[in-house]
Amino acid sequence: AAGSVGSVVRRFLAEYGSGTSSRLKVLDAYLLYVMLTGALQFGYCLGVGTFPFNSFLSGFISAVGSFILGVCLRIQINPQNKGEFQGISPERAFADFLFANTILHL
Amino acid sequence: MSSSFGARGAGVPWRTTPSLRPPPVTRWCAPGRKRRRGPAGSGNKMAAPGRRLCLVAALLLLLVGAQALAPSHHLTARDLARLRAALERPFTDLQAAYYSIVGLHSLGLRVADEKAACNFVKSHVDSSSVDSLFYAAQSIRVLSGCEVTISNETRELLLAAVSEDSSITQIFHAVGALSSFGLPLASQEALSALTARLSKEENVLATIQALETASYLSQQADLSGIVEEIEDLVARLDDLGGVYLQFEEGIETTALFAAAAYKLSDHVGTEPAMKEEQIIQLMNAIFSKKNFETLSEAFSVACAAGSLSHNRYHLPVVIVPDGPAAVSHHQPVLRLQVTNVMSKPLTQASVKLDYAKSASTKATVLQQTAFTLSGEVFELNFMNVKPASGYYDFSISVDGDNRFIANRVELKVKVSTEVGITNVDLSTVDKDQSIAPKTTRVAYPAKAKGSFTADSHQNFALSFQLIDVNSGADLIPHQTFVRLHNQKTGQEVVFVAEPDSKNVYKFELDTSERKTEFDSASGTYTLYLIIGDATLENPILWNVADVVIKFPEEDVPSTVQSKNLFVPKPEIKHLFREPEKRPPTVVSNTFTALILSPLLLLLILWIKIGANISNFSFAPSTIVFHMGHAAMLGLMYVYWTQLNMFQTLKYLAILGGVTFLAGNRMLAQKAVKRTH
Repeated sequence: AAGSVGSVVRRFLAEYGSGTSSRLKVLDAYLLYVMLTGALQFGYCLGVGTFPFNSFLSGFISAVGSFILGVCLRIQINPQNKGEFQGISPERAFADFLFANTILHL
Repeated sequence: MSSSFGARGAGVPWRTTPSLRPPPVTRWCAPGRKRRRGPAGSGNKMAAPGRRLCLVAALLLLLVGAQALAPSHHLTARDLARLRAALERPFTDLQAAYYSIVGLHSLGLRVADEKAACNFVKSHVDSSSVDSLFYAAQSIRVLSGCEVTISNETRELLLAAVSEDSSITQIFHAVGALSSFGLPLASQEALSALTARLSKEENVLATIQALETASYLSQQADLSGIVEEIEDLVARLDDLGGVYLQFEEGIETTALFAAAAYKLSDHVGTEPAMKEEQIIQLMNAIFSKKNFETLSEAFSVACAAGSLSHNRYHLPVVIVPDGPAAVSHHQPVLRLQVTNVMSKPLTQASVKLDYAKSASTKATVLQQTAFTLSGEVFELNFMNVKPASGYYDFSISVDGDNRFIANRVELKVKVSTEVGITNVDLSTVDKDQSIAPKTTRVAYPAKAKGSFTADSHQNFALSFQLIDVNSGADLIPHQTFVRLHNQKTGQEVVFVAEPDSKNVYKFELDTSERKTEFDSASGTYTLYLIIGDATLENPILWNVADVVIKFPEEDVPSTVQSKNLFVPKPEIKHLFREPEKRPPTVVSNTFTALILSPLLLLLILWIKIGANISNFSFAPSTIVFHMGHAAMLGLMYVYWTQLNMFQTLKYLAILGGVTFLAGNRMLAQKAVKRTH
């Protein structure tokens, strides 16, 4: 079982490394960063307490929101999904991403 | 309108002091119509049901009429002195002189120096002013030996003032001056001018002055129209709680009205249309004012007092006991002062006791007995009928003149007596009933020799009888207390002695039962007997004996502390909201560093993947876009530190617009490049 999980993961990573364009990989790196940040915040809150509750909320929600918007951008940019996003060019998706982020952080 | 009838019908017990005037205001039972100048007898505008209600209410009043309203205020001798002092001030001007001179005359008094007053008036009169002439005329008429000659111009001036164009005050003053100077006056013209003017000036003061004016006019003229005004004015009086009746303009106006109404009624020869109760209520209102702020107020009250003491129709009678209304064997005579409103004794009247009833048993003790006049006071020896002590309701009536009103009063009289204590037996009763009780008899006011003991074996008992010294009957006073006072600790306990069926008072002290009252403090107690009642002239505090009380358990509590209820309580300290527990700074700093680590990771990954900006084209739109975007991020920071949302939105709109346009351009170019 452990071996099969390990082999699945390794295969996934190999496929990922070869199959995804660098643009997407850049975006994925960003997503990973955001997720880690959010997770760390949550862990801190669990561990040490919710003292400045406002700070925790704002940080966590910002992380979550950014992650979601990043995911949306990735979906829209991926050429494999082109069929579903007929009217939306990658540039347009990027513009949407920027706009939504601005609003979120406002 | 019907709200206050019940209260009025029930009557006000004699001697209540209505210090607070109750608020409800009702109009007396009359049409609330506006006064109309028109043909007399045009009838009442009041609605039929209202009139019926009025009749029913009047009927009710008649039925309950026995309990009539009694006067609560009048001019006592002290009030009279105060009023006189208010009027006897030195004259400041002619009007003040008029008030003083005529006011004092109404009270039946004379000005101190009549010659000086006469000279003052003559020197201060202004022949060109109708008011001034009026004041002078009235004053001169009242002062004896004061004469003045009137020039023709003055006469013309006064006659000219009597016309429809002058105000009622002017007409009043002119008519009054003409009449007092003895000059001829055309009454009919004056009357028509007055009537015409009244229809225009409908306020209370003008109407009162019209009444006064009419009292100077000849009786040949038809003054009935003016006389009707009295009734209208009575309807405008405000009823305060059924006790007072006054105009909303104040006491001065009310007093002037009373004086004017009686003056006119005496002149015309018709009884004023006022009911007895209304007159008494007017009286209460007028004489409730004991301090006079202005001379005109004092003058108005003096005029009212004068007119209510000397008129042809109504004389209110004031019946006041001389001293407290109490009789006893030392003071067996009940003395009454029967006077008019100015405290002048009515020695011609005959005062009779209708009945005297015991307040508790309602048995009639005396009836139909006359009071005898002694000097200026009416007397009755009530102790002749040997009444038992207590309170009695007297009903007294005053007759002798059919002008008397308020001549029946109810009075509460107290009969006091002296109490005697007899058959006082002190004994110690053995609980087991094995030893016969030892009884000692004590006579008041001696103290029993030796002391008595009450402990777990024996009780202490006391019995006595109370009798009325004068009649020998048994008495049950209100207060019969037995007080035990601990000589050492100062503690005292009071018990009530109760009478049995034979009116013998008994008190028994059982140490086991009464432990709690005494706090189990053994020792020598002095025994006092306290007898008291409102109808006793000799209340008793008698040290009867000493009693040694021993309580069974010797768990003597600490010396009795006086329970002081008024010590300061412990201070309440304000608890500020505790700040929340924070993690130590080390932890927070570690976490901050930790949070920044994913950023590092991101940068490393990006480099690894090979993200670069090699495709960066230096087109203007690109630069603008990037600048705009950077500016927006910068704005976010400024928003965080300084701005509020509205300002931010404003800047954001500008920056965003620019960035959007530039970005659009840039991305379009990129798209074009990509598709190629």
